[in-house]
Amino acid sequence: MRTIALGLAAVLILSGAAPARSPVDDHASALAALADVRAAVAEIVRIEDGYAVGHGAYLRAAHRAMNALVGRRDDGYVKSFGDPGDGVGTLGYLDLMLDKAGTSLWTPAVQGAKANVLAAAEDLQSALAQKEMEEYQADLTRALASLALVVGRPSQSGVLGGLSGALANTSLGVPLGALSASGCAAPAHAPAYGVVAGRLAYVALPRSAASAGIPDDLSVARVVVQGDTVVLYTHAARDAAALCRSAARLQRTRSVVAAPSKISYTVAQARAGAGVYRRYCLQCHGADLQGTAGPSVAGADFLATAQRNKWSLSDLRTTVFENMPFSNPGSLTPKQYADVMAFLLASNCYASGSKPFPQTASASLATVKLAQVARAKPANSKLGTCPAK
Amino acid sequence: MSRMARGLIVLAGFVAAVLVGGSPQVGAQGAWPTSDSYVNADKDAASWLLPARNYSGNRYLSETEITPANVGTLKKAWSANVDARGPLETSPIVWNGTMYVTSSHNDVYALDAKTGAVKWHFPYKPHVIAFSANRGVALSDGKVYEGTLDGHLIALDATSGKPVWNVVAAHDLTNTFYTMQPVVYKNMVLLGASNGDWGGIGYISAFDAATGKRLWDWNAIPGPGEAGHDSWSGDSWKRGGGAIWSGIAIDPATNTLYADTGNPQPDFLGTIRKGANLYTNAMVALDIGGAKPKLKWYRQFIPHDTHDWDPAMPPVLFTGSVNGASRSLVAAGDKGGNFWVLDAGTGALVYRLAVSTQKGQSTEPNRKGNIACPNTNGGVEFNGGSYMPETNAFYVPSVDQCGIWKSQGTATYVAGQFYLGGSFPALYGPSTGYVNAVDIGTGKFMWRKHLAFPQIGGALSMSAGLVFTGGVNGDFTAYDAKTGNVLWHYATGMTIQAPPGSYVLDGKRYVVVAAGPAGVNFADPRLKQGAPTLEGSYKHPTSATITAFTLP
Ligand code: HEC
Repeated sequence: MRTIALGLAAVLILSGAAPARSPVDDHASALAALADVRAAVAEIVRIEDGYAVGHGAYLRAAHRAMNALVGRRDDGYVKSFGDPGDGVGTLGYLDLMLDKAGTSLWTPAVQGAKANVLAAAEDLQSALAQKEMEEYQADLTRALASLALVVGRPSQSGVLGGLSGALANTSLGVPLGALSASGCAAPAHAPAYGVVAGRLAYVALPRSAASAGIPDDLSVARVVVQGDTVVLYTHAARDAAALCRSAARLQRTRSVVAAPSKISYTVAQARAGAGVYRRYCLQCHGADLQGTAGPSVAGADFLATAQRNKWSLSDLRTTVFENMPFSNPGSLTPKQYADVMAFLLASNCYASGSKPFPQTASASLATVKLAQVARAKPANSKLGTCPAK
Repeated sequence: MSRMARGLIVLAGFVAAVLVGGSPQVGAQGAWPTSDSYVNADKDAASWLLPARNYSGNRYLSETEITPANVGTLKKAWSANVDARGPLETSPIVWNGTMYVTSSHNDVYALDAKTGAVKWHFPYKPHVIAFSANRGVALSDGKVYEGTLDGHLIALDATSGKPVWNVVAAHDLTNTFYTMQPVVYKNMVLLGASNGDWGGIGYISAFDAATGKRLWDWNAIPGPGEAGHDSWSGDSWKRGGGAIWSGIAIDPATNTLYADTGNPQPDFLGTIRKGANLYTNAMVALDIGGAKPKLKWYRQFIPHDTHDWDPAMPPVLFTGSVNGASRSLVAAGDKGGNFWVLDAGTGALVYRLAVSTQKGQSTEPNRKGNIACPNTNGGVEFNGGSYMPETNAFYVPSVDQCGIWKSQGTATYVAGQFYLGGSFPALYGPSTGYVNAVDIGTGKFMWRKHLAFPQIGGALSMSAGLVFTGGVNGDFTAYDAKTGNVLWHYATGMTIQAPPGSYVLDGKRYVVVAAGPAGVNFADPRLKQGAPTLEGSYKHPTSATITAFTLP
């Protein structure tokens, strides 16, 4: 298993495909950053452990490691040597995570990781200029030391914990769209993540998933079996429990995914809504719903916005019924609006039901927060959208 | 310097946005415009260095090659296709044979100004917060600056198009983005925030041109203890609006920045923000000579606006003759259909002229709905107009529309959504436009042309007696500055919402304009052009082009 967190993401999202990588999916970014660092380390270790003769193989290894770290948008990237990473580079992902207003509990760890990646890149750069084998190796050893700090260890939080520590002990370990609950109470569902003020207190797995083996990269301090659920308490759990006791301000850091039962629309509505959309909405929101002149209205990008801004179904309804089409608000019939709402819900992978989407406002819509549907299998895994049928 | 060593420096600058001070850019050996070049931009016939050519914001050109006599023979020299996922609003910057333009989704292109060939292309994939539009780049010292739809300010290497640095510039990414074309002044990049209808507070910021570090912000809404704060009831100022969307003008002699502020929020519900709502819907003159801007004066055009009738037109500074006396003036135009002329030194009103139909303006929108004109995209729009000394006239296009306005009893702030207290009005009746020539001597029309489509392209005037402007129907037209007669026109087949520009290359003068899809604000069912959609009934263009014209 490459990393525990990656394994868990697959267990919890059950999407089969890798988690969609939108700019705000910090969890996916952290995993991808970690994968790129590991690819760089593997390049260096391979050449240091091997018996290569001649300058060329060493240069190549340093270039390849560099490529995995900085990513192809950087001038330090030399394409001809190949890239053991995914092209975005560790720095590319770390910047995505840091490049926004506000900080999280994991921000210092990510900032530290970035400083260490930059230090390693400098050592690699220096290695590339060396003529003597010993000096070359000294530079690479320094780079490896910095990269070890970037990877960090799951049992520790903060800068020393590196990316693994942040993934194992903070809300960064929660995949976008996964069920997260207050870490103060015992889990009511599995799979689920228990979070207290940015700390990851536990990961609850169904016994069937846990029996495949407890992932060894998680900082498991304590295992509790509770009926059909296996609860893995992290090293941050004690800290979290103290917080739960001391303050009444217990917060959920990520909203619980909407209970699907409250969202209802019929297949017939969604079909009719597809026609409404083509006629009145497509010109601004695009055939793939990713937006042209207007913003995206379905898929990973839209749901990430909705989740970040804590939009309820009622907020979405207000936007559509009262402000759309932007060029002629309020111009459609209530039926057309309800149909196009059904089409948007279907496109966002919400399951259809027997009750139609209401044509009049309903207070219950305000209690449903929009989020990625937990077990959704987007037909378009890149955009995270589902066909309306 | 070896390739690798340079790579690392550029890398460090890109990721950390702080280490760039030394600027070891590749293109630094080529000469770039200096502070003086900007102050004297009007004297440089070959280039177009600032959004409206000069710091005065006056899109005017002293020019004798293209004249009323020969403009009829103007021909397309080249056209270049760019990313077409939204409208083109870019004002091209031209320097040394290279033209820098942007697409609605923040792609930046360096084009060969002679052929339109792409020299480099910087693709960008912003998360669109509200709608896609971009009004162009600033150029300085080997860098090209762009404000983005996801609230960043980016500096690119002007020679290669590679990012030099990229900073998060907006304070609240849930409701703030950038459409304005940045302006470079001394060591600063000036950029106003677009957050007018989403519950933000407007501001304009200055960033260090070398590093992207924020130097200051000037907030359009005075906080507790500041003058003007009492023009807001209760806590309403906190989401008061006053976005700074449009262009700015600067008087370098006095370091005065002229900017227009957007509408108050919630847009259509005035009852929960009683008072004049300063400094929304106003022109402000700021002294930017010191470490922090100081307000010199303000002139509020529509106090306590409830119709989103903000002064969209960028300010234009000029010296005109009023009743026979030469005066330093500044012009403004608002979406309420008013054209304003103020004293540039004091902000005192010289006169106001209605350039669009005005009706029902004193009634606040209510739940039942009432008709008021102009509509929300009516009046004078964001490209504004220009003053020509030869005729002592100001040329300004306008939009003529009415709307049915409704408000709600309450307004709830939801991050990332409109904060309107109602909804945008529905168009009522026809949608047309005017090209207006205002006699500055009298404040009356010298001539005006009524056209079938809204006119928002902004006006470029040329001293030989020509006015160029483009309409939503895609016609790019040259008018006789004295009479308003059409002397030349060209059908782009797309909507024009970008202002015309001009430059000289190898002894030939070019006129350039961008055209593209209608975008969110000027979608008009009459536009049956371009590729069909799946549905077939609504057609919209799928291309966006920059087109340059020259005499044969
Ligand atoms: C003329 C262009 C235009 C048309 C036509 C249009 N929209 Fe929009 N839409 C917009 C713009 C602009 C926004 C951004 C408003 C905001 O930020 O609050 C938007 C926002 C939205 C949103 C919220 C997404 C977000 O991130 O803010 C939804 C959902 C939506 N539109 C649905 C529709 C539907 C359904 C239709 C057809 C009935 C439609 N739109 C037609 C321009 C348009």
